[in-house]
Amino acid sequence: MAETTAKRSIIPYGPQHPVLPEPIHLDLVLEDEKIVDVLPNVGFIHRGLEKLVQKKDFNEMMYVIERVCGICSFVHGMGYCATIEKVFDVEIPDRAKFLRTMWSEMSRIHSHMLWLGLLADAFGFESLFYQVWRSREQILNMVELHTGSRLISSVNKVGGVLKDVDDDKLKILSKTVDQIEEDMLRVQKVFFEDYSVQSRLKGIGILTPENAHALGAVGPFARASGIPLDLRMRGDNAMPYIDFEPITSNDCDCFARCYVRFMEVLQSIDIIRQCIAKMPADHTLVTPVKGNPQGEAFMRLEQPRGEVVYYAKANGTKYLERFRVRTPTFANLIPLCETLKGESFADLGLLVLSIDPCISCTER
Amino acid sequence: MGKVAKSPWIMHYDASSCNGCDIEVLACLTPVYDAERFGVINCGDPFQADILLITGGVNKQNAPIVKQLYDQMAEPKVVCAIGVCACTGGIFKECYNILGGVDTVIPVDVYIPGCAARPQAILDGVVKAVGIFQQKADEMDKNKKMKPAPQAAPVEEKAEEAAEPVVQAAEPVAEAAEAVEEKAVEAGKEVVAND
Amino acid sequence: MAKLANFTPTILKNLFSKPATTTYPFEPFKYPEGTRGHIENDIDNCIFCGMCTRNCPTRCLTVDKATHTWTINRFDCLACEYCTVVCPKKCLHTVEGYQEPMPEKSSVTYTMSEEAIAAEAEKKRIAAEKAKAAKEAALKKKAEEEAKAAAEAAAPAAETVAEAAEAAPAE
Repeated sequence: MAETTAKRSIIPYGPQHPVLPEPIHLDLVLEDEKIVDVLPNVGFIHRGLEKLVQKKDFNEMMYVIERVCGICSFVHGMGYCATIEKVFDVEIPDRAKFLRTMWSEMSRIHSHMLWLGLLADAFGFESLFYQVWRSREQILNMVELHTGSRLISSVNKVGGVLKDVDDDKLKILSKTVDQIEEDMLRVQKVFFEDYSVQSRLKGIGILTPENAHALGAVGPFARASGIPLDLRMRGDNAMPYIDFEPITSNDCDCFARCYVRFMEVLQSIDIIRQCIAKMPADHTLVTPVKGNPQGEAFMRLEQPRGEVVYYAKANGTKYLERFRVRTPTFANLIPLCETLKGESFADLGLLVLSIDPCISCTER
Repeated sequence: MGKVAKSPWIMHYDASSCNGCDIEVLACLTPVYDAERFGVINCGDPFQADILLITGGVNKQNAPIVKQLYDQMAEPKVVCAIGVCACTGGIFKECYNILGGVDTVIPVDVYIPGCAARPQAILDGVVKAVGIFQQKADEMDKNKKMKPAPQAAPVEEKAEEAAEPVVQAAEPVAEAAEAVEEKAVEAGKEVVAND
Repeated sequence: MAKLANFTPTILKNLFSKPATTTYPFEPFKYPEGTRGHIENDIDNCIFCGMCTRNCPTRCLTVDKATHTWTINRFDCLACEYCTVVCPKKCLHTVEGYQEPMPEKSSVTYTMSEEAIAAEAEKKRIAAEKAKAAKEAALKKKAEEEAKAAAEAAAPAAETVAEAAEAAPAE
């Protein structure tokens, strides 16, 4: 027999855990505190909502697709409407395009600030968690002022948007965004230079650029490994009028993902300022759409967590035949399992959080 | 139990929810809508928690998990269902994999509606839950006082009484063991004879 | 010592500014405009057509035309405002304020007031009378036209009979 045979044990990392906000089950194969293999078991949030297309017509289905995930809810609603508009082959008015871009950047800010706070809580820095979430309340107040509700906005419609924004609200938004930038710059020093944050985050969870490309990682997870993949460069909505460059980092570890998401908050604030300055004056919001959809269409958008793909198939009745959503966490689960091999068990919560998991998006 | 309403401990679990109500629950514990002013703290352990906050409808795969979490909590306990999906199943009522709201699996004490439920509504619901928790604790105390206390017998007699049943139980066991041995011996003889 | 000097402005700011926590529930909360709280119905204008019931994503509405009632289960309502969009009379609207958390689920029913029911019945009666009068007038007109046409048809027939009578003696 060998001199030291390390014993392997299988530990369940259950659906209920203080660090995880959502139920996911991982069977970890451990060898003396080091993770050797990971077997994920998903299915605790599967609701089967894609089958509801047979019972709800294509206007009502928007409310169902919006509730696939509560954090990235605006982009899901926008993506559904954009896909059906592509099936009908209509173009929405310019003001609606700028409003959609502005609101989706506000949604991105709130999602990234939420993630930064949860990451700080996961390695025990509770006061940093509270500081970031205190700032985040300001952007939620702005979303409520513009659309009526804090998280699930329900403001998109096939053909445009339902609510308009007057100049007063834009001025208030501009002031709030300045205040948020000031708050974030104050915390920036802690995130990037503090000794305890660096020693917890640097050097763990390495995903090499070749692996990221081969396993299909998307979003900030891939951009932190040096791949400049950002679907806002495709030019949907108002993006052709906005100056924009994707943010990448070459470090490939957890600290790089933290850096990318932090800088994206500051970049989104800049995009919102450009949208407010270039907002068109014509107040039409909706292009009327007549009849029932016929045909199929694909749509790809950039959610806060990565690339999301929508597919719709319609056959001429008011019920769609098929609607499929492929969310970014679905694509990021396999690279996550690759990253976990060889890491210490104590870092597990941090590593699972570093891909920004949204299990309700994955399982719909 | 005294005044337990001063510091109930909370546990939060997400059954098949879209995360909207979970984020609002976490927002209640942050400085702007501070629920910790009322003495609650978010511990992650069902064995130490008094109040369970559940969001989302119940999945076929999640139903035994929710039942197990409820059983692991110690009495007295209070359950709050947060959000329209936890109250009635919400917009996903007609889906094939959803059984309904949380009350299809465990008894619920406070229903908090909304999609996503506002932090102010969650604070209201938690304050009501703390009141119900104090009521349940008082009832438990009352029931304990009303049961008659057992008679205190002297210690030696009790030891002898305890010894007797053990001896009595030992006899049939010994008889049974002997019977088994005899049967084994006979079976062995038969096998030898067959060979 | 230098680090303490760095932190002093923050200490002074924190000492003399308002706390970040909202004072809810000790003070009522001020909602921003346009917030989606709950749905109410202006019941006297409702025609009980059932469009809102059929289109509600969670099926939380019920309508009964015979008893003039509109019921909503607020523990099931998402406040998505789709019913306000499809209502033909625009009597549904959003009001701020949320449903209180309760130990039991309940529904809220709106019933049409007596005056409104009476007014609706009166309108129906007037409409029915008008329709009846219009129908009678139409029938009368039709009868007159038939009589006129019959008279015109009889006239050429009378002429041909007269021509035949003239031709016969001529022979």
